[in-house]
Amino acid sequence: MKLLDATKINDLAAALARAGYRVVAPIEDSGVVRLTEWTEGATIRTDVIGVNSAKDFLFPRSEVIGRWDLDGDDFSPRDVQPDAQKTVILAVRPCDAAALALLDTIFNWDYKDDFYNARRQAATIVPMACTAADEQCFCTSVGGAPDATANADAMLRSADGGATFILEPLTDKGNALLDAAGDAAREGEAAADPPAEVPQRFDVEAVTEWLSENFESDLWTTLSLGCLGCGACAYACPTCHCFDMQDEATRTESVRLKNWDSCGFGLFTLHAGGHNPRPDQTARWRNRVMHKFAYIPERFELLGCTGCGRCARLCGAGMSMSEVCRRIADESKKALAHES
Amino acid sequence: MDLDRLRQDAAAVLSDGRAKMVIGFRDRDGDRVPAFITDAEQAAELVFDETCLVNLAAYLKKIELKRFRPVALVARPHVCRSLVLLAAEAQIAAEDVIILAVGDQEYHGVMDLAGAAALLNEQYAEMPHEADLAKRLEEISGLTPEERSRFWTEQFAKCTRCYACRAACPMCYCTRCIVEKNVPQWISTAAARHGNYAWNVIRAFHLAGRCTECGACEAACPQGIPLMLLNASLARDVEDEFGVKAGYDAEAEPVIGSWSADDNEDFIR
Repeated sequence: MKLLDATKINDLAAALARAGYRVVAPIEDSGVVRLTEWTEGATIRTDVIGVNSAKDFLFPRSEVIGRWDLDGDDFSPRDVQPDAQKTVILAVRPCDAAALALLDTIFNWDYKDDFYNARRQAATIVPMACTAADEQCFCTSVGGAPDATANADAMLRSADGGATFILEPLTDKGNALLDAAGDAAREGEAAADPPAEVPQRFDVEAVTEWLSENFESDLWTTLSLGCLGCGACAYACPTCHCFDMQDEATRTESVRLKNWDSCGFGLFTLHAGGHNPRPDQTARWRNRVMHKFAYIPERFELLGCTGCGRCARLCGAGMSMSEVCRRIADESKKALAHES
Repeated sequence: MDLDRLRQDAAAVLSDGRAKMVIGFRDRDGDRVPAFITDAEQAAELVFDETCLVNLAAYLKKIELKRFRPVALVARPHVCRSLVLLAAEAQIAAEDVIILAVGDQEYHGVMDLAGAAALLNEQYAEMPHEADLAKRLEEISGLTPEERSRFWTEQFAKCTRCYACRAACPMCYCTRCIVEKNVPQWISTAAARHGNYAWNVIRAFHLAGRCTECGACEAACPQGIPLMLLNASLARDVEDEFGVKAGYDAEAEPVIGSWSADDNEDFIR
């Protein structure tokens, strides 16, 4: 099998960069670990989850999807190609890779999004199996695992107590990556360290069950009181995919942008006539949870959440998808106990 | 800090009907997160320490919480300033809030808005910046305008336009924010260079003279942008130019938004 010293991960990144990959990895800068483009000298952290997810590189925050030249009342379109550089997303967490199942589905559902697909095809996904987890992790409650290989082209696994990494190719792209790695990986044998323990936080079936019958419940207000309606959770979330189209123009040029949007914002469902079907955070939180645990499963037989826990880690207002699901599952069990 | 007394007072204001809800902090897996308490027994779970950076006054913006007035808030000095300023800006009435005032070292007790203002003027009239912020402010004021512009362009490049800074700030209460106006679209909503600079600078400008330096915006920012460098330095500029600190006087006219015949500048005459 192919191995590398944990301390030599930068050499792997350098080799891949020389082979023409744009290397994206969890980089530490001023105390924050962020998935971003690697450059020589950057500190790669493989042991923690970054504040942002792999979706940033497949579905970026703001993307030009149309361009027109303007001349008075005349306009003519210019060709716009998706910016899809050959990219390796190195040492992401398995929960990020798991999310690709939903993004692939949504961006190819009723419309094939060329921009997403071009970036997706150009990307090689290399998750790092987790040997540590924190209280906010809940992959095992939503059908995932700390060492899951879903959507991985190659897998990094820690061995020898973290001193060595195993690099295992799983697809053709993974094999191509290993070829490109060259001397940065060596032949050898090692036994993978055990994956992290991630206890089950809630019974997801109980959640889906409760959701199907409790749209009008008062519990939604109680659960959502902490939320102040920003987009931090939706933007950090590896599965959230809503976007807003914006046209921006000067006298001579117009661009059409596809920008991230969040259902948590007050104006997300504001109609032109002034009506807002989700007028308060209660309604907006209900939508968020139902989207992930009811509507998406109904339509696609996938969950809309992979248990990465980013939402809880960075929400200063104390909102946590895991805690919300736990409370819903508890409520569901109470109702069952009451009935029987 | 006498947390037991805080908990007892919280339970008491609920039991005797002085407040319909207590907003404070609880522990969740080692983190301090906001707690919304309507039953006196729940008051026992209230906690407080220096990691409680959420400005609970921001919750006064929430429609769902308006029916729980009067509301009691566990308020550190900067949060008390926010409450006093919200009253000065006619966003809350004095009788809407009861304050469970926590200081740097001690719990000060239950008080009304006037009591909180008095406490601020007596014991918290000077609130020096904590050492790290003071040092960073010093560093940035030593930069040339070009260096400062480069610094901020780099910082704002990280901004994803999640508006957590706005959501966390009690003074950002506009029902339709300037970024949400689209006839015309004053500020690009794209998380890209041109829009990010405009958004962050405009928010700082809209807070000039109104920021109570609570730090909630910087704590809320998922990207770690040092927003306090911007907001605190503008707050100090206003203090230097106009001799006013926000949130000490519930009757004060807004600094930037009011005019008097005695104003220094004569170009307006």
